[in-house]
Amino acid sequence: MEVDSGNGVVERKQSIYKSLDESFEIQKEMYRGQQYSQIYFARLHLMRTLLYSLIPTWKPHLPVCTVLGLEQGKECIIVGTLFKHMKLKPTILDEYSKERSASPLVKPHNFMHSDDYLILEDESGRVKLRGTILVPSVYVTGLVVALHGKETGAGDFMVEDILEAGLPPQIDRPLNPNGDDKYVVFVSGLSVGSSSANPLQFQLFVDHITGHLGDEKEQGIAAKIVQVVIAGNSVEFPRGLFNGQNLGSKEQSKLSEPTKELDILLTQIAAGIPLDIMPGTSDPANFALPQQPLHKCLFPGSAAYNTFRSCTNPHSFELDNVRFLGTSGQNIDNLAIYSDASSRIDFLERTLKWRHMAPTSPNTLGCYPFTDRDPFFVEACPHVYFIGNQDKYVTSLIQGSDNQVVRLISIPRFAETGTAVVMNLKNLECHALSFGTQFD
Amino acid sequence: MDYVVGDGHNEFLQSSSGLAAIIRIFGVTKEGHSVCCFVHGFEPYFYANCPSGMGPDDIFRLHQILEGKMKETNNNYKAPKCIRRIELVQKRSIMYYQQETSQPFLKIVVALPTMVASCRGILDRGIQIDGLGIKSFMTYESNINFSLRFMIDCNIVGGNWIEVPRGKYNKISRSLSNCQLEFYCLFSDLISHAPEGEFSTMAPYRILSFDIECAGRKGHFPDPSHDPVIQIANVVTLLGEGQPFVRNVMTLKSCSSIADVDVMSFDTEKEVLLTWRDLVREVDPDIIIGYNICKFDMPYLIERADVLGIAEFPMLGRIRNSRVSIKDTTFSSRQHGTRESKEVTMEGRVQFDLLQAIQRDYKLSSYSLNSVSAHFLNEQKEDVHHSIISDLHNGNSETRKRLAVYCLKDAYLPQRLLDKLMFIYNYVEMARVTGVPLSFLLSRGQSIKVMSQLLRKAKQKNLILPNVKQAGSEQGTFEGATVLEARTGFYEKPIATLDFASLYPSIMMAYNLCYSTLVNPEDARKLNLPPECVNKTPTGETFVRSNLQKGILPEILEELLAARRRAKADLKEAKDPLERAVLDGRQLALKISANSVYGFTGATVGQLPCLEISSSVTSYGRQMIEHTKRLVEDKFTVLGGYEHNAEVIYGDTDSVMVQFGVSSVDAAMKLGREAADYISSTFINPIKLEFEKVYYPYLLISKKRYAGLYWTNPQKFDKMETKGIETVRRDNCLLVKNMVTECLNKILIERDIPAAVQYVKNTISDLLRNRMDLSLLVITKALTKTRDSYKVKAAHVELAERMRKRDAATAPNVGDRVAYVIVKAETNAKAYERSEDPIFVLENNNPIDHKYYLENQISKPLMRIFEPILKNANKELFQGSHMMSKNNCTPNIGIAKLFGKQLSCIGCKTPISNSDHTLCSQCKGREAELYCKSIANVAELEELFGRVWTQCQECQGSLLQDVLCTSRDCPIFYRRKKVQKDMEQAKQELDRWNF
Ligand code: SF4
Repeated sequence: MEVDSGNGVVERKQSIYKSLDESFEIQKEMYRGQQYSQIYFARLHLMRTLLYSLIPTWKPHLPVCTVLGLEQGKECIIVGTLFKHMKLKPTILDEYSKERSASPLVKPHNFMHSDDYLILEDESGRVKLRGTILVPSVYVTGLVVALHGKETGAGDFMVEDILEAGLPPQIDRPLNPNGDDKYVVFVSGLSVGSSSANPLQFQLFVDHITGHLGDEKEQGIAAKIVQVVIAGNSVEFPRGLFNGQNLGSKEQSKLSEPTKELDILLTQIAAGIPLDIMPGTSDPANFALPQQPLHKCLFPGSAAYNTFRSCTNPHSFELDNVRFLGTSGQNIDNLAIYSDASSRIDFLERTLKWRHMAPTSPNTLGCYPFTDRDPFFVEACPHVYFIGNQDKYVTSLIQGSDNQVVRLISIPRFAETGTAVVMNLKNLECHALSFGTQFD
Repeated sequence: MDYVVGDGHNEFLQSSSGLAAIIRIFGVTKEGHSVCCFVHGFEPYFYANCPSGMGPDDIFRLHQILEGKMKETNNNYKAPKCIRRIELVQKRSIMYYQQETSQPFLKIVVALPTMVASCRGILDRGIQIDGLGIKSFMTYESNINFSLRFMIDCNIVGGNWIEVPRGKYNKISRSLSNCQLEFYCLFSDLISHAPEGEFSTMAPYRILSFDIECAGRKGHFPDPSHDPVIQIANVVTLLGEGQPFVRNVMTLKSCSSIADVDVMSFDTEKEVLLTWRDLVREVDPDIIIGYNICKFDMPYLIERADVLGIAEFPMLGRIRNSRVSIKDTTFSSRQHGTRESKEVTMEGRVQFDLLQAIQRDYKLSSYSLNSVSAHFLNEQKEDVHHSIISDLHNGNSETRKRLAVYCLKDAYLPQRLLDKLMFIYNYVEMARVTGVPLSFLLSRGQSIKVMSQLLRKAKQKNLILPNVKQAGSEQGTFEGATVLEARTGFYEKPIATLDFASLYPSIMMAYNLCYSTLVNPEDARKLNLPPECVNKTPTGETFVRSNLQKGILPEILEELLAARRRAKADLKEAKDPLERAVLDGRQLALKISANSVYGFTGATVGQLPCLEISSSVTSYGRQMIEHTKRLVEDKFTVLGGYEHNAEVIYGDTDSVMVQFGVSSVDAAMKLGREAADYISSTFINPIKLEFEKVYYPYLLISKKRYAGLYWTNPQKFDKMETKGIETVRRDNCLLVKNMVTECLNKILIERDIPAAVQYVKNTISDLLRNRMDLSLLVITKALTKTRDSYKVKAAHVELAERMRKRDAATAPNVGDRVAYVIVKAETNAKAYERSEDPIFVLENNNPIDHKYYLENQISKPLMRIFEPILKNANKELFQGSHMMSKNNCTPNIGIAKLFGKQLSCIGCKTPISNSDHTLCSQCKGREAELYCKSIANVAELEELFGRVWTQCQECQGSLLQDVLCTSRDCPIFYRRKKVQKDMEQAKQELDRWNF
């Protein structure tokens, strides 16, 4: 366990850091035969309480019903968990199905189909949803919503309006337009050890942010970097290598070389700048969300610095009272497989408004079977909400009805794009930092 | 006004006045009203031969003697007259070719249908007639079901629209049935409409699908004398409508309501049962379906009502005040063997048990509702164990609701299967084609169908069928169909297949084989028939040709096949899916019927066996196959101007496989077509050889065992076809099936033999290294009877016994399927002693007996596949480094328990002191590597955990409720149990890294 990433507030010269990862840690939790029904139940409970509190301002005149209490033709509001019936959704049972088609299936990038439909479930039962208001391609299994509508003759529920939870309340951000510029650097998908990674590019990046490169102006900016966040997929970890046997020396080195290389570079960063490293899909970490911090035995060099923090994924922290929340990208990647949006940023915004980071978890996105809580529920609105390992750098600033302001960032895969993202803590302004190498 | 003979309940009643049989026809009108029609005036009768020299006086005397004898044997017949009359009629027996057109026969008309049998008995035994001495009579058509007799004589077939003209019927003053319409009429006034044109439509049958749940006591299969019926779920559908219009469930004790379902809760079982009875009466279904209702649900309800003393319960039929009762019946047929079943007859309603129908029509490895729905509907069905059922029932209204939802699913699934498999369409078509009532199709064998057609045809020709006494013993089985020697091997050139279209029916038509054309050997000499008028079959029988007299069987076959051609042509035209369903059902029914005619003549225990016909058919068949082989190999040669010499590599009952030597599918197809046309021209019409498909590549393993890719057009293959290869055998574990399928895929589709070999090696290595998913190793067998009645010790029976000792509540009972795996035990333990419950194995980490799986499960089927392909198959597959097994499975468990919580190093398993928790000093240096190993393991398990458990949530249809399912038939059941347990351990191990 990372010593520095506890709750302790670590005084630094440049900024004040406070970890908020506690809810993503699963130290005491155990597998004791619990199932996924409990996390769904916890989620329904949390979100329903919230939605119920909003209904009086939304549609005060309408009665609130359970699925069971529906009466044909009677207008009402129901709250429950959505389930999307998807024709193309692959299941583990397919592995056992008898017939193989002659041509191998091309894996589609998305499992949507025009026949998909939504069902709403609460403790009392399920009801099929109809109507053009609620678009199946936007919503996903696991989400809790309030719906206004009425039961049709066929026993379905005709949806007339939808209430989502909306942006959570936000703590005030210290507004200090004349204050110092302080930068946070985000990078993801370093993929050390993979074929797409270019060690030189990474070295350039390290040199740049540590102030060993560039002109004076650039060095000036580098000096103002107060935090580096690595959002997952730092190495390419060949999980398949482990199949019960002891490894041969060749395989051992294949396994350990990338982490060693990573450690060397991280040590250079940690020597000067506070560094948060989050696990991602390809890292030597567990699979299910929340992913637990990478073990420090993997980083004998950098872990020696107290600026090095191994964090969970999702990861949340505060820097000078600016609140950050982010993941290594799995939650949004999964949404993109099971629903549609015009860009990744849209998905990000959507999850914030749903107040749930990963509704498809556990249905299609593995997660720990929590029994009494749902850590993916977004209690407080972050100022910065980021995801790692995306195709390209995109950002936008959204504003909520309650004066919330959120910077959304999609961090590209560094190994493929050579791009990191720099954000100014003072005004949440963002720009890309690209490293091209002519050598490839 | 129209209505349909929906079913076979055309029973007779004794009307109080005249003691005559009254036929009852139940059916439904186009508008969907149920009808009960009482038909009067139809009399039971049969024929007997008329000994020569018998005059009118003798007949009169015979009448009196018979009457007397009848009275003697049946003094409880209060009928004034048993034998109504005896007439002299001109008929001809169907047996043997005869030159006379007719002979006198006696038609004996009796008062009641049951008298036919006793009267036949008397005549069989022979009676003394003054002046003629003791005469024994040969009877004809004396074993025909009365209602069938009626249908034949009135030209009514099953699923037939019948019209009763206005003014020809009378309403019944005091209604006797629960039908909406009820009246009586004279049988001669009925107008039967042949099922064509507007009368080919299906009647709007009302179908009730139901399922019951009983609260069994722990450790026992539910028994009606103890265990209450706690829930009955019902789904009612109108034929042809997609959605059910009634869904309800009756529960004992309160039950929370369920969306879209009418939940009725009661405090007593009596109310539950009676409400169900009322439902049946109110809905008045024509057809009642369910899964295993005939053997379980129906008898259970009736017996339970009896135990509870609810006398008014069993009035479920359409006749008022008539009780439904249970009869034990056995039903045997050549195709399906002997089956015991309970028969619950319900007047006016057809019971259609999906289990029986599927067992009859499909060969599956398991017939549990779960596997059946996985197979046909492609979805798993959660399964709740009996012991859980009682717990759910004893919980609260929420848990009972859970049960009710489950019960409803089970009630709806049969309906969905019925729709999916188009049973009603196919069966009604079959009833129409063969002329028997719907209910016969399920409860009787094939022969009644042929019999019905034969009788109908014979009637038109003035022929009558003798009643042969059943010989009983299977006298000398005649030589069956031949297959040409299979030249086993792996053929990498296209193999063209020449098929005889409906070979046996064609032979019967071509050579005019029939009862009525067979020449009795004595007659053959006497009659001196000119050779151009007869055929001598290869077995030496003589049949007259059709120019002399056309046979009845060929005529039936011609009609059937012509009708099939018509149906197929119509099918091509038809657009409407419902119409297509009907037509497709019809063409299938026609095909099956045509093929069963041959079987009818060969059924030695059947109604009218005639081995002369059946053995002639097969011998002709053999000849044709050999003839084809000769012609192909003579004509398609290099000498004959072809590129290669053709070679016949295999011939089956009705097909011949030829390797023409060409390497493209296209060329093989051309030659195949040419050969088929050429050879067909040498056969007598309608025998015809057709070219249909090419196999390429083709793996011929032995007689009746092969696999190949099936091509009907040269661009792309249609599918992979396998025959006789272990993909569906019941006693194999899934691993075998997977391996066989995967190997065939690799060999045939990917054409990569080394990859197939590598795959086998990898899988074996996985098996030996304990990395096999347990569910792949599970073998299931049904526990059909109690332990004592098994003669030899069987693995599943022994296991069931051991499980009962462990925990009687969850142990399998008779009727359950027992799932087991074979585990390692003391060296000389027998295989049956080494069977173990997979769950138990998961929990206790028992080592799997790899050797057993290798030798008894996978080796044979794989060898069969690879032997024709590899020279040293055995060596290639089963020798080498992949055969090294890993012997370190689970030895520590016991010891660790003994010494308390002694920790061991994660790296090398040596015990370590508690202070350094994870690794011993030697392994410290490998920390990162070993950690990665632990974490990789955890990651893999987590992924699997998520996938299986969410799948089960989806299967049970709820996110918010716990999965309860214990379906051992489901491939992921063990996996999810196992991953749950593995996960617990892996997480604990991982936690040791975080000190
Ligand atoms: S084990 Fe799961 S998937 Fe299989 S039948 Fe049961 S609930 Fe369904």
